[in-house]
Amino acid sequence: MCPSDDNRVNALSGRKILIVDDDRLNIRILSGILRGEGYVLADVDSGERALEIYPQFQPDLVLLDVVMSGINGFDTCRSLKACYGEDTAPIIFITAKTKSDDVVEGLRAGGVDYLSKPFRANEAVARIRTHLSNRLLGEEQKMLVDQLSRANAAKNRFLGMAAHDLRNPLASIRGLAEFLQDSMLGTLNAEQLDLVKMIQVTSHQMLDLVNELLDVATIESGELKIHAEPTSLTSLVEKSIYLMNMEGAKKQTKLVLMPPPHLPSLALDPAKIRQVLDNLLSNAVKYSPPGSAISIELSEGENRVSVAVRDQGPGIPEGERDKLFKDFGRLSVRPTGGEKSTGLGLAICRNIVEAHKGTIVAENLPQGGCEFRVNLPITA
Amino acid sequence: MKFHGKILLVDDEAHVRKFVGLITRTLGNPTLVEASNGKDALEIYKRESPDLVLLDVNMPILDGIGTLRELKKIDPDAVVIMLTSLANRQTVEESLELGASNYIRKDTPKDEIAQRLRETIEAIFGTEETPEKAT
Repeated sequence: MCPSDDNRVNALSGRKILIVDDDRLNIRILSGILRGEGYVLADVDSGERALEIYPQFQPDLVLLDVVMSGINGFDTCRSLKACYGEDTAPIIFITAKTKSDDVVEGLRAGGVDYLSKPFRANEAVARIRTHLSNRLLGEEQKMLVDQLSRANAAKNRFLGMAAHDLRNPLASIRGLAEFLQDSMLGTLNAEQLDLVKMIQVTSHQMLDLVNELLDVATIESGELKIHAEPTSLTSLVEKSIYLMNMEGAKKQTKLVLMPPPHLPSLALDPAKIRQVLDNLLSNAVKYSPPGSAISIELSEGENRVSVAVRDQGPGIPEGERDKLFKDFGRLSVRPTGGEKSTGLGLAICRNIVEAHKGTIVAENLPQGGCEFRVNLPITA
Repeated sequence: MKFHGKILLVDDEAHVRKFVGLITRTLGNPTLVEASNGKDALEIYKRESPDLVLLDVNMPILDGIGTLRELKKIDPDAVVIMLTSLANRQTVEESLELGASNYIRKDTPKDEIAQRLRETIEAIFGTEETPEKAT
């Protein structure tokens, strides 16, 4: 539904228009036409004066005569644009010439429209309203974007603080539960041990979730920093596989590294890349049926090294591929062993890989399952 | 390696002192003294002359970096291991420059924390069993 004309006029009343013309009669006619619209008007008789008064008056629209003694309208327009850039008020040229060449030159100089003399009152009023409305909408949009970015930054700060404050207590709960499972403090009966294990596993999962939230807050606030150092990708991959094989053993899932070629040392942040590898491998275990084999392959291409992780899961559903690397982009496929998933892991992976100037891609394999491939540049 | 020395454990959170305190008991039979802020820690250090200080970074009154700085003035040979909650590179680097021997992330599983403590202690005190302190 369109707002009524009256509403629009009301919203625009009080908007400021600067009229620049060396012909007093034109100024009088234009002022007469615009009387009753509720605008605040100012007028000057030259381009030089226009440039002078512009910063004080701060108009929302400029009506600018083309042919004037001193600097002409087109040059005045160029100067304003050079000075105030995108924020310059819309400029409408006043011209007796309506030859297409002049119109084009005016638009090229940065004008948004033109009014031809002699003025037709209704047309002039309508054109001015349109451009003032556009300007108002632009301002409102900018304000909204500002508000949203501030709200998003506040959300990230809150997320970061909350996650940070939850970490220590959760780590202690997990750690103390680990001690209760040990015999160091005496033995528990089977049921008690079961409860303690549940506390330990649950707090561990919560800690993972909190860490992922913290990562997202860090990434979104632009604070993700890469501390690159010469790193052996092969040994990072081997460590990650070793750890994940212990996890995978619960589902009889095996992770197998194809014999790796000799790779050059890369400039990587080892902790961050390890996080990516752990995430990809744990996903592969999560989404593959028990007893699967997951293969990991390292290879060297032109100026890049790749890690490919191939699983035997259900693959990526058609049409959900674009959600894969986005925040909270959890897909419709579920883990096969009741594991938890926040949907943040791959978004974090993408950010880390891109911060290394690398790429991460996923595709379904013809034989079933899917492949995640991380490409990292050799000259990072 | 068995460690029977005296440990000063400084952290403002009781659950962390409990957790890390239990871990120190897996190292041997150490004597444990605790402080919940940096200011108290300095007093206790002067009184008790511990062999090892486990020092939290974020604390009210006097934080870990400030405490470390003061400790090193009192005793340049003080052996300090920082307890951090985040791998905060800047704080870690600053504390190592100020003379901390190592740092430990509190949010790692207990066996990893114990392992790291053991390695640091062996590097400083050697692999021989340390004598129990007369208290």
